[in-house]
Amino acid sequence: MINIKNLSFYYKKKSPLFNDFSLELESGRIVGLLGKNGAGKSTLLNLIAGLIQPKQGVINVNGFSPFDRNPNYLADIYMVPEEFSFPPISISCYVKAFSPLYPQFDQQKLNDIFDEFELQAPSYLNKLSHGQRKKFLIAFALSTNCKMLVFDEPTNGLDIPSKSQFRKILVSSVTDEQLVIISTHQVKDIDTVIDKVVVIDNGSIIYQENIDEITQKLYFDLVPSLIGIENLLYHEQCPMGQKIIVSASVGNESSIDLELLFNAIINKSI
Amino acid sequence: MSSNNFFSFSRFYLLLRNDILLNHKKYLLTIVGAFVLGFVIIYMQMPNYSESNPSYKCDASRYVTFFTMCLLGLGAFVGSAFSELSNKVNVSNYLLVPASIFEKFLSQFVIRAIAGIVLFLCIFWVDAHLARIAALSHLKNINGQLAGPEKYAFIEKFHYSMLLIKTTYPVITYWRLFEGIGLIMTFFSAGMFLFSVKIFFRKLGLINTAVSLVAGIYLLVVLMVCFSHLFYPEIVGFRTADTNYLLPNGYSNNEIFQNSIAYIAPLFLLPLGYFKLKEKQL
Repeated sequence: MINIKNLSFYYKKKSPLFNDFSLELESGRIVGLLGKNGAGKSTLLNLIAGLIQPKQGVINVNGFSPFDRNPNYLADIYMVPEEFSFPPISISCYVKAFSPLYPQFDQQKLNDIFDEFELQAPSYLNKLSHGQRKKFLIAFALSTNCKMLVFDEPTNGLDIPSKSQFRKILVSSVTDEQLVIISTHQVKDIDTVIDKVVVIDNGSIIYQENIDEITQKLYFDLVPSLIGIENLLYHEQCPMGQKIIVSASVGNESSIDLELLFNAIINKSI
Repeated sequence: MSSNNFFSFSRFYLLLRNDILLNHKKYLLTIVGAFVLGFVIIYMQMPNYSESNPSYKCDASRYVTFFTMCLLGLGAFVGSAFSELSNKVNVSNYLLVPASIFEKFLSQFVIRAIAGIVLFLCIFWVDAHLARIAALSHLKNINGQLAGPEKYAFIEKFHYSMLLIKTTYPVITYWRLFEGIGLIMTFFSAGMFLFSVKIFFRKLGLINTAVSLVAGIYLLVVLMVCFSHLFYPEIVGFRTADTNYLLPNGYSNNEIFQNSIAYIAPLFLLPLGYFKLKEKQL
């Protein structure tokens, strides 16, 4: 689990990114970390991974302070960054080189995901397309069985079938002991897999809620017009009419439109 | 803190294995390249015609020149340590590899410095002998082929002791040893400086190294000028007091000073690099 207390961080002292920021996330969840450009999502992920040092405050991930870079901590966290590069070697060589460093690595799981993603082990990493390399990285990350998995824009560069494969694989391979954080702008790609939403803006959490609680409180619908709509919280025009968020009545649940929810949060309608 | 968090043999082995698996082609090419280049450099400098320039003989002093030229190649190899730190994308991959900072530092030191030096010494020795055999095979005077001991006098057989022991001073004394080790330590210091370049400078490592080296030497001179003004009030301007004197064994105080710096520098450079890597951020 992650416990962040009173975190302060800045790149330039005059414009702090996080100030007195606190967050608590429990294991067994897939968390969607959302925010506008420059909100601090990637910086937060880097802080959690121990790639940068907080100026003040405490970050505790599974009992470790990330910036200590304890090898046992590093063996239990895997980060799929938005940008990545590989050495000029084959997939099998990469797996042979890195998998022994992750004690919980599951080769069978990797093979299964490779089959799902249609990846070939003898292929050279640098001869693959960007999307294929990303799929390899996602497959490797999930096969490490690390307690902490961090994905920064995982669906960028994936084609439409691969996006749904990613969702399917993610849901089937994550256990209750793992915590997965997905930071993305492509909210539609992950709206069926996440079970908690955290929205940050200007270095502060402006919204955090479990999906089941959201569906109990809010009702998402598509209506031809706003006439006669009660308890309207937010609406957006679309080609087929109006996408709306209203207060949910008891026993009346809908599936979440994460993009609409995000826009509503950013516009302070919720 | 558990010692296992600091160093584990199994993890260290996996890290070395990881490095070799990722870079084996690069290392193989480097070894082959160093072998060929070393041979060419030495062979091209060896005499081909005994009578064209009879004084041009391949002796210890010439081997020192070859060795110094080839050392630049070793410097380049040592300077390529921590290559992952040269761009932001690779830095995060490298920092997240499950091993302690000490293991990461040591693995680079073992591969780039220790294995690099051992391989360099082996390659240079083989190259020097091969180049000698090749050069001797067609060494001739104007009238024809040279034969027997006459020919061998032109190109001495290489052995490492000739780099440290001058023929005019063949006896190893305490002070000669001190000077010899001082020379090795000077090269070692330069190597360690190059070894840590990528930790300190992400971009333009070589230029930044040269600038910082010049700045370091300048600061040392400034310090000496300050001391000179403090202890020798008669000194005027940016000058140091000339206090060179010889010890009874013929060794000068300045030589002792230079060698002492060579001895001490690596003690600082290695820990400095380690702590800088420990604090490295994206």
